[in-house]
Amino acid sequence: MAEHHTAPDYKHKASSNAAGALSGNGRAGSSGGSGGLSGGLTQPAGWQSLLSFTILFLAWLAGFSSRLFAVIRFESIIHEFDPWFNYRSTHHLTTNGFYEFLNWFDERAWYPLGRIVGGTVYPGLMLTAGLIHYVLNLLNVTVHIRDVCVFLAPVFSGLTSISTFLLTRELWNQGAGLLAACFIAIVPGYISRSVAGSFDNEGIAIFALQFTYYLWVKSVKTGSVFWAIACCLSYFYMVSAWGGYVFIINLIPLHVFVLLLMQRFSRRLYIAYSTFYIVGLVLSMQIPFVGFQPIRTSEHMAAAGVFALLQAYAFLQYLKDRLTRQEFQTLFFLGVSLAAGVVFFTVIYLTYTGEPYHHLYAKIHIPIIASVSEHQPTTWVSFFFDLHILVCTFPAGLWFCIKNINDERVFVALYAISAVYFAGVMVRLMLTLTPVVCMLSAIAFSNVFEHYLGDDMKREKPPAEDSSDEDDKRNSGNLYDKAGKVRKHVSDIVTMLMLMLLMMFAVHCTWVTSNAYSSPSVVLASYNHDGSRNILDDFREAYYWLRQNTDEHARVMSWWDYGYQIAGMANRTTLVDNNTWNNSHIALVGKAMSSNESAAYEIMKSLDVDYVLIIFGGVIGYSGDDINKFLWMVRIAEGEHPKDIRESDYFTPQGEFRVDKAGSPTLLNCLMYKMSYYRFGEMQLDFRTPPGFDRTRNAEIGNKDIRLKHLEEAFTSEHWLVRIYRVKKEDNRQGLDHKPRNLSQKQKYISKKLMGGKCAPRGAWLAWRRGAL
Amino acid sequence: MASASTGFPFNLPVSSLLLVLLLCLQSGGGQKKKENMLAEKVDQMMEWSSRRSVIRMNGDKFRRFVKAPPRNYSVIVMFTALQPQRQCSVCRQANEEYQVLANSWRYSSAFSNKLFFTVVDYDEGADVFQQLNMNSAPTFMHFPSKGKPKRADTFDLQRIGFASEQLAKWIADRTDVQIRVFRPPNYSGTIALALLVSLVGGLLYLRRNNLEFIYNKTGWAMAALCVVFAMTSGQMWNHIRGPPYAHKNPQNGQVSYIHGSSQAQFVAESHIILLLNAAISMGMVLLNEAASSKGDVGKRRIICLVGLGLVVFFFSFLLSIFRSKYHGYPYSFLIK
Repeated sequence: MAEHHTAPDYKHKASSNAAGALSGNGRAGSSGGSGGLSGGLTQPAGWQSLLSFTILFLAWLAGFSSRLFAVIRFESIIHEFDPWFNYRSTHHLTTNGFYEFLNWFDERAWYPLGRIVGGTVYPGLMLTAGLIHYVLNLLNVTVHIRDVCVFLAPVFSGLTSISTFLLTRELWNQGAGLLAACFIAIVPGYISRSVAGSFDNEGIAIFALQFTYYLWVKSVKTGSVFWAIACCLSYFYMVSAWGGYVFIINLIPLHVFVLLLMQRFSRRLYIAYSTFYIVGLVLSMQIPFVGFQPIRTSEHMAAAGVFALLQAYAFLQYLKDRLTRQEFQTLFFLGVSLAAGVVFFTVIYLTYTGEPYHHLYAKIHIPIIASVSEHQPTTWVSFFFDLHILVCTFPAGLWFCIKNINDERVFVALYAISAVYFAGVMVRLMLTLTPVVCMLSAIAFSNVFEHYLGDDMKREKPPAEDSSDEDDKRNSGNLYDKAGKVRKHVSDIVTMLMLMLLMMFAVHCTWVTSNAYSSPSVVLASYNHDGSRNILDDFREAYYWLRQNTDEHARVMSWWDYGYQIAGMANRTTLVDNNTWNNSHIALVGKAMSSNESAAYEIMKSLDVDYVLIIFGGVIGYSGDDINKFLWMVRIAEGEHPKDIRESDYFTPQGEFRVDKAGSPTLLNCLMYKMSYYRFGEMQLDFRTPPGFDRTRNAEIGNKDIRLKHLEEAFTSEHWLVRIYRVKKEDNRQGLDHKPRNLSQKQKYISKKLMGGKCAPRGAWLAWRRGAL
Repeated sequence: MASASTGFPFNLPVSSLLLVLLLCLQSGGGQKKKENMLAEKVDQMMEWSSRRSVIRMNGDKFRRFVKAPPRNYSVIVMFTALQPQRQCSVCRQANEEYQVLANSWRYSSAFSNKLFFTVVDYDEGADVFQQLNMNSAPTFMHFPSKGKPKRADTFDLQRIGFASEQLAKWIADRTDVQIRVFRPPNYSGTIALALLVSLVGGLLYLRRNNLEFIYNKTGWAMAALCVVFAMTSGQMWNHIRGPPYAHKNPQNGQVSYIHGSSQAQFVAESHIILLLNAAISMGMVLLNEAASSKGDVGKRRIICLVGLGLVVFFFSFLLSIFRSKYHGYPYSFLIK
C-alpha cells in the first residue's frame, strides 16, 4: 500500500526531469544512485545494469530462437533464391580466398555473357560469414560454411536489438531502450528478412543501420571525433553490406539541415558532420560496387550540399564573432543561407521525391520491375501484419519526441517520417521502417509504464514515510500524491491491460513468424487430414539430378527465378538469374518460353541451351509455378520483341487467361504450355476429376495430345514439380547436293508462300517438295 | 486423294473467273460515280476534322461515312455515353485521353486523310449501338479502310486501359500510322505549389511581428503524425492503385466498406483504419497526459480512463477488422 502510494511521486519527478533535460535520464540514473548504500547489487546502478544485461541477453535469446522454426521443422538449409547466390559466393570466398573472390568472374551465370561477381556485389555479407568461419576454424571449431550462413542472420538479430537499445537509450532513457530491444528482437517486419537460412544482405544491414545511427547520435551529442570516426567505420560496414546505405547518407544530412534551420547549430554538430562526411565518403568509395557513385549520382548530392552549407554557416558564425557590423552581417548571412537553402532544396527534391517516383515510373513501365512482388505499394494490412500494436502506438512516441524536442529527437522524427513514406511506397522497405517503429513504440509504452507501473519504486525511494496521511500533509501543495492514492486501482488496470496488449503482440509475432515467414520455399510441406506431414523435396531432387546426370558444362535454361538455385544446388551454367541486370537477355528467354516449339528451338540453338527446366504445380496444386508466372514472361518478351510476341494472343476473346479447351491456341501451343503439360493428359489424379486435371488452376487442360519435336523429356520429379527437358541436337543432315541448302530450314514458311503465291523460285519449290516428302 | 487434288486446280480458276466477271458487270458502270463519292466523303471528313479533331457522329453519318464501303481511310470510333445523366465517369476520363490523342494527330506534321477520329454518343446514335450489339461504353473500334473490322480492331480496354499512349500503340498496330502523343503540359501542379508558397509567404509576412507559431511544437507534431497516419493506413496504395471508395453489391444493394481480401483495400476502409490508428495513438497520449499534468484529480482520472478505453477498444476493433480480412488468423481481443 505504502509503496504504491509513494511511487508516483518519484516517478513524477523523474518524468518531468526527462521531459525537461536534453539527455534522457538513463545516464543520470546510472551515474547518480540515490541511496547512500554502497557495494555490489545493493547499489541501484548495479541492479540496473544487471537487469539490463539480463533483459538484453534474453531478448537476444528470444530473437534467435524464434527465428529457428524453419531449421527445426526442416533442416539447416539456405532459403529461397537470393541467399543461394550469397551462399555460393561465400563458399567461393572460403575455398579460394579473398582476392580470388574480388576478382571472380562467374562464367556459369548469364551464359554467354558471364558476370563479374566481385565488382557487382555488396561483399559485406560474404566477408562477415567468411570471417566467422575462419575464426571458428582457427579455434578448432569445425563448422561447415553452410551452417555459418544459415545462422548468421539470427545471431545478428541479437546485435540489432543491442544497437537499438543503445540508440533508444540515447534518445529517451534506459527503460525505453530495453523495451525497444525486446520489440525488435521479435517483430515480424524484421524477422521476415532474418530467419535462419535467409542468408541475405538485409540480415546484417539492419544491425549496421541501427549501429551507425547510434554512433551518429552519440557523435552529435558529444561532438568528439572519436565517435564520428566510429560512425564512419560502421557506415563503411553498412555500405559494404547493402544498397540501403543510401538511406543513411540522405537521412544524416537531412538531420543536419533541419538542425541548421532550427538554429541548433553547434560546434558538436560541425565536428560530427564534417568528419562523418569526409571519412565516410572516402571509405564508401572503397567498395568496388559503389566506386565513384558517391560523387556522381544524384542520391549522394544532398550530403555534399549539406557539407558545403555547413561550412558556409560555420564560416559566417566565425565572421560574426570577428566583425562588428551586425546589420550587414545578418543581411549577408540571410542571403547566403537562402541561396544555399534553395540549392539544397532542389537537391532534396530530386532525391526524396524524384527517386521514389522514378521508381514508380519504372514500375509502371518496365515489366521486369513490376513483376517482382516486393516492389508493390503497401496496404494497411501489411503494416498491421508486420508491426501489430506497434503501428498504432508509434505515432504517440513520435508525438512525445516532438513535444520534448532536442537534437537527437529531431533525428528520430525525421527517421520515422522518411521511413514511413518509403514503406508506404514499397512493401520491401517495411524493413527500414521497423526499427524506428520499435523505438518510438517503446518510448510510448515506456512513458505509460513509467507513470502507471509503480512496482519498481521501492528500491529507489527509501521507505521513510509509512502512513499515507503523513505523506499527504508533507506534499500538500502537490496534488499528484493524492491522485496516486485515488488512482491506484486505475493504474493497476492500465498496467494490466498494457501488459496484455504486449502479450498479444508477442503471441502475434510468434504466430506470424511460424506461419508466414518460416518456409524455406526450397522444401515444401503439405499436411494430411490427420495432421501428419509430407515433405515435398522435388526441387532438390531435380537439382541433384542435374548435378549428377548432366555434363559439367551443360547450359540450363529456366525462368530467372530459378537461376541462383540452379547455380547453387546443381552447379550448372544458367542463362538468366535473379540478378536481373540484363533485360534483353531475360526477354529472349521469355520469348523462347512463349513461342511455339520450332521458333523456340531456333532461339535455344542460338543460346546453346542443353536443358530446359520448368516448375509445374498442376499435380500438387502449387500456385507459384511457371504457368502462373507465364504472363510476365510474355510481357517482358513483348517489351523487347513486340513484333513476335503479343500479350493479347495469350488471352481468350473474353480476355481471360485459360489453360483449358477455351484457351487461346497460341497459349495451347507455346513451349511453356507444352513442356508443363507434356503427358499430363494421360494422368488421372483421382477419381473425381478427369485425366489431365490441373489442380492449381482447377481446369482440365485443353491440349492433351502434346508431341515434342525438338525436345525430349529428361526428368520429372516425384510430384511433377520440376520438369527437365533435353534439347535435341540437330539431326544429321542428308548429303545435300543442291545449292540452296540454307532454305531447307525455312521450309514451312516457303511452302506457305508457295501455296498462296502464284509462282515460286525453283529452289523453294524443291525445298518444299523435300519437306513434304 | 489423288483425284481430289487433281480436281481442285481445275475448279478454282473457272469459278473465280466467273466471280470476277460478275463483279465487273455489277460495278463497272458505277466506277466513276464511286470515285466521285469517295472524294466527296474524304473532303467532308477533312472539313469536319479541320474544325474539330474528333468528329461527332450520329447514326446516319456513322452509316454513311464509317460503315458504307467506298472508303480509303481508316476511322477510329469511340462509342461512349458522355451525357451527365448517364453518370459514366470512365467515359469522361477516356474521352479526355481520346481528345489528347486526336489533337496529337490533328496537329502533327504527319496529319493526312488516312485516319480520322470520331465519336458516337449513345444519346445521339443509340441505333448504332444496337446495330453493333454493343452494350458497354466506352468502346474503341477501328474501322479499317478495307474490309470489315476484325476482333483485334476492338480495343481491349479492360486489360490495357485507355491511356492515350496505349491507344496510339494500338492504332500504330492496326493502321501503320504512328502518332506521337503530345500532352498539353499540366500546369495545375505548378500553380498549386506557387499558390501554396505565396500563401505561406503571405502568412509569414502578415505575422512577421509574431513568428512564435513556427516554434509551436504541437503544430509540427500534428503535421508529422498526419504523414504517419496517412502512410500506415495505405493512402499511398490508394494513390497508386486507385481502388473504388466502397463496394456496392449489385444484387442486394449492400455496401461493404471493407475489402474481403488482405491483398487489397477500399478507400473508405483506409479512412476507417486511419481513424482507428489515430484514436489509439491519442489514447496513448491521453494516458500520458493524465499522469503527468497537474490538475484536478477527478478530471485526470477521467482522462486516464478515456485514454485507456480508446486504446483498448479501438485496438480490439482494429484487430477484428484485420481478422476478417486475414483469413485464418486465430487471435482476437474483446471483439470477435
